[in-house]
Amino acid sequence: MDTQEALKSAETLLTDYPSTRPEENRLDVTLAPENLSAVVSNLVAARWGYLIAITGLDQVALGQLEILYHFGAGAAVLTLRIPLPRIPIPSVESICPIIPYANVYERELGEMFGVEFRNSPNTDRLFLPDDWCSDVYPLRKDAVLNEE
Amino acid sequence: MDTTVPQRFVVPIGPQHPALKEPGHFEFTVDGEQVTGASVRLGYAHRGIEKATEGRNWVQNLYLLERICGICSHVHATAYCLGVEKLAGVTAPPRAQAIRLLVAELERIHSHLLWLGVAAHEAGFDTLFMYSWRDRETVMDILEALTGNRVNYSANLLGGVKFDLTPELTDQIYAGLELLEERTHQYVDVVTSDATLLQRTRGVGVTTREQAEELGLVGPTARASGVERDIRAEAPYAAYSDFPVKVVTATAGDLEARFVVRLQELFEAYRLIRAVLEKLPPGDLQARMPRKIKPAETISRVEAPRGELFYFIKSNGTDQPERIKVRTPTLCNLASVCVLAIGSQLADVPMILAGVDPCFSCNDRMVTVYSGDTDHTQWTWKQLRQYGIDYYRR
Repeated sequence: MDTQEALKSAETLLTDYPSTRPEENRLDVTLAPENLSAVVSNLVAARWGYLIAITGLDQVALGQLEILYHFGAGAAVLTLRIPLPRIPIPSVESICPIIPYANVYERELGEMFGVEFRNSPNTDRLFLPDDWCSDVYPLRKDAVLNEE
Repeated sequence: MDTTVPQRFVVPIGPQHPALKEPGHFEFTVDGEQVTGASVRLGYAHRGIEKATEGRNWVQNLYLLERICGICSHVHATAYCLGVEKLAGVTAPPRAQAIRLLVAELERIHSHLLWLGVAAHEAGFDTLFMYSWRDRETVMDILEALTGNRVNYSANLLGGVKFDLTPELTDQIYAGLELLEERTHQYVDVVTSDATLLQRTRGVGVTTREQAEELGLVGPTARASGVERDIRAEAPYAAYSDFPVKVVTATAGDLEARFVVRLQELFEAYRLIRAVLEKLPPGDLQARMPRKIKPAETISRVEAPRGELFYFIKSNGTDQPERIKVRTPTLCNLASVCVLAIGSQLADVPMILAGVDPCFSCNDRMVTVYSGDTDHTQWTWKQLRQYGIDYYRR
C-alpha cells in the first residue's frame, strides 16, 4: 500500500481522536488511556500494519509521562500517544490480549519508566537485575542513579 | 512418591552463552525430552545507553550508539545519523549515502557469514563453522581497508561519511566479492543437501506465515516464513531508492529456510555492492550540520542484518537529545523462541535459538558499574576521559 493511502486509511479508522501529521510519513493520534484497547483492536481487525515499538517519554515540566505505541505499515508510521500523569505510578490497560508479542515491550517500559500494565500476562522484570530498588525507574528524568 | 502427579522439570539454559557467546537466561520446562514451557530473562549486557545519550551531545552520541552492537554497529550509526539529519533539516550528499549503503551491505555479509558459522557450530557441524569464518575474514579485511577497523567501523558522520573509495580499494572489493560469491554457492549447496545438517534443520522450529505475523517477527527470520518485510524495500533510506533491493523470501519457515534466506541475501548484497561501485555518484562526503537542533521528534527505521531497527529521536533545542529510544530486531525475534520452543525436542532448542540470529548486546543496553578507586580494571567515565586526554598530551 502507498504511504499516503496507508495514512489516510489510519485517519479514517481514528477519526474520533485528535491527530497531527508531524512528518510526511507519520500520523500522531492522541488518545485517553481508556480508549487504547478499542483503538488497538480496530487497527488489528483492519490489519493495519504491525506494532513496531512502545516508547516512554518523561515530561517532568508538564507533569506527565507519555506512552507512544508505534505502528508501521510500509513506510507509514502511526503513533498512538497516551499522556498520563507521572505521579502516582501511571496505569494503563495491557494490549497483550490483542497483540501477545507486546509483552516484552510492556515489560521493558514498565520497569524503565514505572508504568503499570493492567491485566498483563507477565509483568516480571526483563532487563533490570533482581536486586534493583523497586522505586527507581532509570529512564525517568529525575531518577537518581549511582553512576560514579 | 505419588507417581500419578506429572513431574515438572525446569532446565535452565544460560545466562552463560545459551547459543552464541553472549549472555541470556532461558528456563525450559520439559516433559521427558519435550519442551512444555519457556521463559526468558535478559539484561546481562544492559549498559544504560538510552539513558546515557541524554547526557551527551549529538556528536558524542554517534560514537556511543555505534557501540550498542559489535556486529551491526554501522546500521545503528546510520539509523541515528539519518534521524538526526532529518531533525536538523540536513541531507547528506548522494556520494555519502551510497557509501553508507556499501558499508551496510558489507556489514550484512559479515553478519550473515558469522551467523552461518555459529548456526553450523550449534548443529555440531564445525567444519562449516571454520570455513565460513575463514571466508568472513575476506569481508573483514575489506572493512578494515576501507575504514581502518574490523568492527565499529565508524564510517558515519552527522551529515555524511568519513571515508571515500580509492581505485585500489575498489579492486580489493571486486576481488573479495568474487571469492565470496563462489564460496556462497558452495554454502547454499551444503545447507540444502548435507543429510546430517538437514536432520537438524528441515522441518525444525517451523514458523508459519500467520505465526510470524502474530509474533511480530522481523528480518530474515520473518522472510523465511514468507513475510515480505524489509525496510530497505518498504521505506528506502540512504541510497536504497537509487539501488533498489530485491526482497528474498522463502515459504517453509523452518531452520533450513532461514539458512537459505540469509545465504540468498548474500548474493543480493554482492549485487548491490557491485552496482554501487559501478555508479558511485561524484561529489562531497559531508554536509554541514548545526550544533544545536530545534525541538522536534522523528522516527528512523533501517534494515539491520537481523531485521528492522527502530530509532525514536526527540530534540529539545540544545546540543543534546531529549530522548533516544532504540528498538532492536532481536527483541522482536527473541520472544518468538519461547513460543516456538514449546512442543519441540529439548536438543533442538539451541538451534531454534540460534535460528533467529539473536544479538544480546543489541538487545540489552544497560549495566551498572560499581567502581572502586583502587580497582583499575573498572574506570569511571571521568577517569577514562582523563586517561584519553593525558595519553594524547604525551
